[in-house]
Amino acid sequence: MSPPVAVVGGGSFGRSLAQAAGRTGQRVILWSRHARELEGGESITSTTRLDDLREAELVFFAVPSPHVAALADELGRSLDGSHLLVHVSRGLLGPELATVSEVLGARTPCRRVGALAGPLVARNLAEGHPGGAIIGSRFPEVIEAVSDAIGGPSLRVYGTDDLTGVEIASALVGLVALALGYAQRLGMGPGTLAVLTTRGLAEATRVGEVRGGQARTFAGLAGAGDLIAAVAGDGRPEVEFGRALAEGLDLRVAAERAGAYIEGAALAAQVAAFGQRAAVDVPLAVGLARLMAGELSAGQLIEALMARPAKRE
Amino acid sequence: MKLLPTRPLRLPRLRTYVPRPSDPKIFWFNSERADIVDEVVRRIMERYDLEESAELALNDAAYHEIRRLESDKSEGAKRKLDYWRGIVRRVGRMSVEGKHETLREVAHAMAKDVAGNFDPRVYHFASRFLPGVLTAAMNPSNILQNVMGGGGRLDELVASEGPIDKIRHISRRGTVVLVPTHQSNLDSIALGWVLFREGLSPVVYGAGKNLFTNPIVSFFMHNLGAYRVDRRVKASLYKEILKAYSCVVIERGYHSLFFPGGTRSRSGALESHLKLGLAGTGVEAFARNRARGIDRPVYFVPATINYALVLEAETLIEDYLKEEGRARYIIEDDEFSRVERWVSFFNKFRGLDSVCVIRFGEPLDPFGNPVDEQGNSLAPDGRIIDASSYVSRRGTPSVDARRDAAYTRALGKVLAAAYQRETVVMPTQLVAHVVFRRLVRATPGLDLFSRLRHRGDIAIPYDELTAELGETRDRLVALEAAGKVHVSNFVRRQPPASILEGVLSTWSGYHATRQVVRLQSGSVIAEDLNLLLFYQNRLRPFALDIAGDDEADRTAAREIAGMEHHA
Repeated sequence: MSPPVAVVGGGSFGRSLAQAAGRTGQRVILWSRHARELEGGESITSTTRLDDLREAELVFFAVPSPHVAALADELGRSLDGSHLLVHVSRGLLGPELATVSEVLGARTPCRRVGALAGPLVARNLAEGHPGGAIIGSRFPEVIEAVSDAIGGPSLRVYGTDDLTGVEIASALVGLVALALGYAQRLGMGPGTLAVLTTRGLAEATRVGEVRGGQARTFAGLAGAGDLIAAVAGDGRPEVEFGRALAEGLDLRVAAERAGAYIEGAALAAQVAAFGQRAAVDVPLAVGLARLMAGELSAGQLIEALMARPAKRE
Repeated sequence: MKLLPTRPLRLPRLRTYVPRPSDPKIFWFNSERADIVDEVVRRIMERYDLEESAELALNDAAYHEIRRLESDKSEGAKRKLDYWRGIVRRVGRMSVEGKHETLREVAHAMAKDVAGNFDPRVYHFASRFLPGVLTAAMNPSNILQNVMGGGGRLDELVASEGPIDKIRHISRRGTVVLVPTHQSNLDSIALGWVLFREGLSPVVYGAGKNLFTNPIVSFFMHNLGAYRVDRRVKASLYKEILKAYSCVVIERGYHSLFFPGGTRSRSGALESHLKLGLAGTGVEAFARNRARGIDRPVYFVPATINYALVLEAETLIEDYLKEEGRARYIIEDDEFSRVERWVSFFNKFRGLDSVCVIRFGEPLDPFGNPVDEQGNSLAPDGRIIDASSYVSRRGTPSVDARRDAAYTRALGKVLAAAYQRETVVMPTQLVAHVVFRRLVRATPGLDLFSRLRHRGDIAIPYDELTAELGETRDRLVALEAAGKVHVSNFVRRQPPASILEGVLSTWSGYHATRQVVRLQSGSVIAEDLNLLLFYQNRLRPFALDIAGDDEADRTAAREIAGMEHHA
C-alpha cells in the first residue's frame, strides 16, 4: 500500500488540498491545531498530532507565513530525509525575501522541498473544477509525487525545477492581485488594469531574477497564468481584499471579508525594502506599502504610478 | 598507447610495500589502482551504452583533441593527432562492437592518465624532510639548523584550528571530503602539512596539470596521491572520467580534497557561489554505497585557508581587474613559479603570529546536516537521523543523478555560508579594509576602476587610523562572539598601533616593488589600491557589520558590500 498524503494546515487551502488528494484515491491525513470534520469520506483522517504524519511520504504545508518558522520547527521533529515537503504559501520571509522552501530546508531535516503554485483557488480545488497548477522543485520525485497526489483529468499539474522563480512569482502575483482588486473597485477601465497587471508582472520578474529565478517562469502558470485567472475573476481572496481596502475598510476588517490570511499586506513593505537595498525598481510594491501604511491615498497612488515616465518595455 | 602527455616520474619498485593495519587507507592505494581504473572504465561504458552515445562521445573527444593538438608543435602531438583523425575517419563505418571497443580503449587511456599514485616512501620522506627544506628555503642563512630542526618553524607559520579531534574520529568511520577555500597554490602544500601534523590522513586530490610542469613539485604531487586534471582537455568524455574517478575513490573510502571554488580566488574575496564540481561526486558516492548496502558515510569538511600575505596577490588581483579571469584560467607564470618570491614570502611577516591560519569547520553530511562526534547526522532539533533516508524512496536507497545534482546545489549554499562563518580575519585584511573604506568614503558613487585611479590621494593621520582600526577590530570581535566570523589571535590581542605596525612592515617587506601604503609626515598614504582591494575583499561580506555608526561610513560600507565581483 502506498503511504498516505499528509496536509499540514486546517485553513481553507489545506482542507481543499486534502479533498483534492482524497478524490484521486489517496489516503490523506490532515493536521490542524484543532480537530476538524471534513467532507471527503473515509479517505481523509484528521489529527492534531504532527507525529501521525511520519508515515506519509508527501507532506503539503499550507500555513500562513507568520507561522511558517515555528511550525516548521515543530514539524521537523517528526520528519526526516525521506519526506517530500511541498508548500502552497504566497508569502516571503524577512528583509531578504527568503522563500518558504528555504526556511523549510533550514529548519527541518527535509531537503526534498517544493512549492505548489499557479491559478489554484481553494474552492475550485475542493470542488474539482478543471484547472491547472505548477509544482516547482529541483527534485524530480517531488514533482512526480505531487502530480500523482492531486493531478488528474480535472487538474493539470506542470513541473519546473525553477523553485525560486515559482515562489517569488506566486508571492508577487498575490500582491498584483491585491492591487488589481483595488483598481477594479475604484472603477478603473480595462486599459488601466492591463497596464497594472503587465507592469506588475514585469516588476515581479525583476525581483525574481535578482533572487535567482528565471524570467521564463514568470511568463508561465506561476506568473502570467496565475494573474490571468485573477483578472478573469476566479474569486481569489487577494482580489477581494484589495476591493475591501478600496472601500476604505481597515486591514483587519478587509482580511475578514477576504476570508483568508492575505500575505500581500505585509509583503508590499518587504518587497519595497528589498527593492531599495538590491537596487531593483519596484514602484507597485512601494506604492502599495505606502497606501497600506496610510501615507498615500488611492488617488495619489494611481497618479504616482501613471505619472511615471513610460520607458521602453 | 599514450593519448595524453607523459606521466611524472615514479620511483622504481624494489620490494612491495606492505601497509601496516594502522596506516591510513591511502597506503593501499597502489594495490587498488588498476582496479579503480577498470571500475571507472566500466561505468563509462555503462553510461555510453547506446550506439549513438558511444559514437557521439568519440566524435566529441576527437573534435576537441584535434583542435587542441593542432596548435601543439611537439613530436608526440603529431602521433596523437593522427590517432584522433583516424578515429574520425573510421567511426562512421565501425560496427557497434567496434565503437564500444574504441571507446573502451580511449577511456582506459584517459583514466590511466588521471589516476594518481601513492608512494609511502615519498610520503615518509616528505613528511620528515619537507618542513625542514621548506623552512630552509624561507631562511637560507640558517639552512643547517633548519633541516636538522625539522618543522619547528613551520608550526609557527601555519596555525590550524577547528574541530580537529572530531574530524580525526569520524574519518575512521567514513570518507572525509575536504572542501577548503582556494587562494594560493600554497594551499595544498600548507594543508598537506597541517593534515600530517594533526594526525589526519593524507588525502587524494585533483591537481591542475599546470602544477605538474615543475618536475620537483610534480614528483611530490604525483607520488602523494594527486590525480591529474588537465583543464586543456575539453572532451566531455574526459570530464565524465574525472567524475567517475573521484566518485569511485570516495566510495572506496579514500579521503579526498577538492577546491570547490574551482580556481584560486582572483579578487581575494571568499567564494560565494559554489558549483562544487568534482566535490559533488561525494553525494553520488554516498548514494552508490548505500544502494549497494555499504555503510560508509561521506563527510564534507569545509575549511578556510587564511593568509596574512598571499604569495600570488599581485598577479591574481591584476587578473581579476583585467576581467580576464576566464581567458587566463590557467596562469602559467605567476609568483608561485619564482623562487625568490617564496623566500621573501616566508621571511617577511615579522611580528605577525602566523602567516597562515587553516580553520576547519564543522563536518557535514552530504545533505548539509551537521554530524555528532560519532559521525551521525543531526536534524535541526539535534535528533540523530538516518542519512540514507535522503537517497531512499519508500525505504529503498537508489542512485539518481538529477536528485543528487539538487542535493549538491543545496550543499554548495551551506558550504558558502560555512566559509563566511569560518573565515579568520588576518591583520593585513583588517588594515586594508579600514584604509579602503576611507577611499570609498572619499570617492562616493564612483565605479571601482575610477576609484582605483586615486593612487596616493588618500592620506589618513596615523592616530586617526589606529583609532578606527581599534573600533573596527572591536566590532569584528563582537561579530566573532555572535558566531559569524573568527579573528586571528594577533588581531584579537594586539593594540591597534601594533597591528598597524606589524602590517606595514609585513607589506613593505613582501610587496617590495609595489608599496601598498607609505608613511609620510604622520599620515598613512594609500599607494597600491589594487593590493588594498585584494586584501580587503575578504572582509566584504562583513562590511556593514563592522562599519561605524556615522552615515558616511555606512554608505561606504554599503558600497563595499555591493561591489561587483567574480571571485
